[in-house]
Amino acid sequence: MAIEYQKGNAFLHRLDARTKLLLFVGMTILAIVVVDPLLMGLLFMALYLVGARSVDRKLLNSNLRILIVIFLTFSLFQIIFFTSKDAHFLFYLIPVKNWIPVTVQGLVRGAAVFFRFFSVVLAVHLMLYTTPPVDLALTITKREQNRRLGAELTSTLTLGLILFVIAHLTKVEEIQALSADIRVRTLIVLAASFVLAYILQKIIGHGLPPEMGMALTLGFATVGLLSKQTEIITDAQKARGYDVKPKNLIRRVQVLTALLLPIFLATLERSQDISVAILSRGFDYNISARTYRRQLKFQSIDYIVLTLIVLLLFAGMYLNYLNIGNPTEQFILNLLANRS
Amino acid sequence: MEYDIEFQGVSFRYAGAQSDALSGVDLQIPRGQIVLVTGPAGSGKTTLCSCINGLVPHYHEGELKGEVLVRAYHTRRARIGGLASLVGMVFQDPESQLVTSSVADEVAFGPENLGVPRAQINQRVAEALSSTRLLGFEDREPHNLSGGEQQACAIAATHAMHPEIYVMDEPLANLDPSGRAQVLQMLIDVAKGRQKTLIIVEHSLDEVLPLVDRVLVMNEGRILRDGTVAEVLAAGDIPRVFTRPEIVRLAERFGLDPKTFSAEKFYTDLNARHPLGMITPAERLQPTSTNSSQPIIEFQDVHYSYKNQTAALQGVSLTIHTGELVALLGRNGSGKTTLARHIIGLLQPERGRVIVAGRDVAVTPTHELTQEIGFCFQNPNHQLVAFKVRDEMTFGLKAHNIDPAEFDQRVRRALELVNLLDVLEAEIFDLGKGQKQRLALASVLTLEPKILIIDEPTTGQDPQMTREIFDIIKHLNELGTTVLMITHRVDYAAAYASRAIVMNRGQIAFDGPVLELISDLEIMQANSLDLPDVTKLALQLHKHGVPPWTIQYEALEGYLAQLVEASHGD
Repeated sequence: MAIEYQKGNAFLHRLDARTKLLLFVGMTILAIVVVDPLLMGLLFMALYLVGARSVDRKLLNSNLRILIVIFLTFSLFQIIFFTSKDAHFLFYLIPVKNWIPVTVQGLVRGAAVFFRFFSVVLAVHLMLYTTPPVDLALTITKREQNRRLGAELTSTLTLGLILFVIAHLTKVEEIQALSADIRVRTLIVLAASFVLAYILQKIIGHGLPPEMGMALTLGFATVGLLSKQTEIITDAQKARGYDVKPKNLIRRVQVLTALLLPIFLATLERSQDISVAILSRGFDYNISARTYRRQLKFQSIDYIVLTLIVLLLFAGMYLNYLNIGNPTEQFILNLLANRS
Repeated sequence: MEYDIEFQGVSFRYAGAQSDALSGVDLQIPRGQIVLVTGPAGSGKTTLCSCINGLVPHYHEGELKGEVLVRAYHTRRARIGGLASLVGMVFQDPESQLVTSSVADEVAFGPENLGVPRAQINQRVAEALSSTRLLGFEDREPHNLSGGEQQACAIAATHAMHPEIYVMDEPLANLDPSGRAQVLQMLIDVAKGRQKTLIIVEHSLDEVLPLVDRVLVMNEGRILRDGTVAEVLAAGDIPRVFTRPEIVRLAERFGLDPKTFSAEKFYTDLNARHPLGMITPAERLQPTSTNSSQPIIEFQDVHYSYKNQTAALQGVSLTIHTGELVALLGRNGSGKTTLARHIIGLLQPERGRVIVAGRDVAVTPTHELTQEIGFCFQNPNHQLVAFKVRDEMTFGLKAHNIDPAEFDQRVRRALELVNLLDVLEAEIFDLGKGQKQRLALASVLTLEPKILIIDEPTTGQDPQMTREIFDIIKHLNELGTTVLMITHRVDYAAAYASRAIVMNRGQIAFDGPVLELISDLEIMQANSLDLPDVTKLALQLHKHGVPPWTIQYEALEGYLAQLVEASHGD
């Protein structure tokens, strides 16, 4: 089932396309950083509640429901195959032969994986449901020739500071090995963070060449038309007497090929039409100096959402840094230890 | 004198083609002129347009001789993108030239390419949408608009680029009559309003001729005639290439001003010259013939509505008898196609029953119904499934398990009916548009259907091809096939069909003899059906005894001759 843009003017619709893209990226990183099933579950619920206010809940549910079985299988794999040496053993899945041990860590991880996958998938769904594809294509297309120095400086500074904090939270030993003097150490890490940040924002800021961006945009616009055309062609075939869904399998393949040819030709024809149409409207006039009607603009709500994501990331990493990133597992293990 | 467009001995042959698409064209078009280009299909009109905006030779490959100059630029050396800032082009099929996902994006696309600053783009979009009456459509998806709206959107998109020259390649071909008049007027307003050059390619002359300064008649890549409207009309018809509107021909016949385009002007001028008396023609409108043959298609109070939309059919009841030839008329979106789809089971009624050849459509699969019913779609490309004509022709036969021994005979008979026997061994890609349309019809005829349903068989075809298709349909009907044809062409419907059904907002607005329909001005206007010119004139002459349902040119000419004779006899 294609995830199609749903028109609307709800909270998520009003966010900038870039914010939603970053929300998705942030959610993905969070799903890697956070290992606790309860915390991950809370994050998922929070995102779901936000999403259900902006997108039709039924539509969202029906799309997510399909994935439950698949993700449960993933969880099962985790439960079965995650057996570290010091894991707390519970029971064997196949008791008689003592095959496949199930451990507390495995169970906890399995549950976490379930929510991790769902959070990422939910973030993608929400992004696609509430953002016109054209805007999404635009976010990754290079547009302005020269970006303002101020904007560039701000993004480098912010990104640099984030990297600086991340470095201190995750690579403690490596940093300490750099130099004995704490000031020198900090200076080195700070400098490295800013250089990396500068390069990163250059890469992100650069984006796709406009030709590719426009190709994406035009492609998105064609999907609806082609599916309409496919419908017409299927009807035309039915009207010529082809049983479109015959019981005989070989016959079904034959029918499918008969269907594919006109669809293929229609698509080919469409792509030629598009090239003639866009050339006639000046597509190759001077593509690097192309302007855009659609304007992406951050509003205060975008900054708030972005700050929230960054804060959550920091919090997750900080918990890991303090070695309390997995309270649920800890709690269960403690419970079991007390009982025995 | 400074020209906007200049052709100097231009010839062009498409790569791989056997003959020149343009040969030895010399042409100068001064700034601000409105030029009509006409001629049969394949006469080089589209190639001429493509030369102006640089698609020839930069996109379509081939051999170009001579020079094309647009303003000061040699198109051979310019880029299409550069020329696009000067030349705005609109094509025949509106859907194929809309490329983005909203009307506003569509209109902004051109100015964006030209690097127009954002503030100005928004201004241009608003201005273009208001001059094409599309304000309020900004967020609509282009492919969900009606044909007329789509063409208006394409024109707005071109207009927003502020071109110096507008080139319109059959912009009216896919529109219904009310859409045609509106789009045509819009085109003229847009060009005249900014005093720009306009080149418009069109087959149907009666609507366009009164609005243009100059006419070019093309055939086989050459310009046969070039002059003012009066000059070109005065030079008379060219068989199979250029047929003047009927009123113009009658005006010439009776010595009136050759630039007579409206029935009103003709009547006033004629009356001034020969004070008209009365005639009493023997003909009477035949009473509604009660058809005594078997009913073959029956609709009983059928209701249908598409998802999230208003009802497409609202209580339709009708009976079509064996051997009838029925024309189904009405505006775009009035429910004609929906009705036709019910007959073959592509749609099932929500309420009511459809019975075809004694079977209830609701419980009979479509592929079984097709043994009795042939269905031809508007766009032949959608129903052709093979690469070779022979394979295409046998496909339906195989699907219905016909004895292979019969194949050859059936294929030949069907191709003969549509006059295509000579292409039996050809590749489908090599066929022209008119040939493809006839092939699609022939491939349906191999199954020898009792009922034939044809959806808009003549979209985008020239008058010659249109006449051929209608002749074939008439012939099939005479052989005993029951025919239901959806069409916009009231003139052809009146000439060929006996009965007309007019749909309006999902209901039947009229069902009866065609001649009765065309004499009923109220119903014609309420459904934006355009009277044939001959009938318009007959209506003007009604008070002098001419039957208002006259549709044949010859018949009207006869009445006029009688009237004029009588006026001088006194």
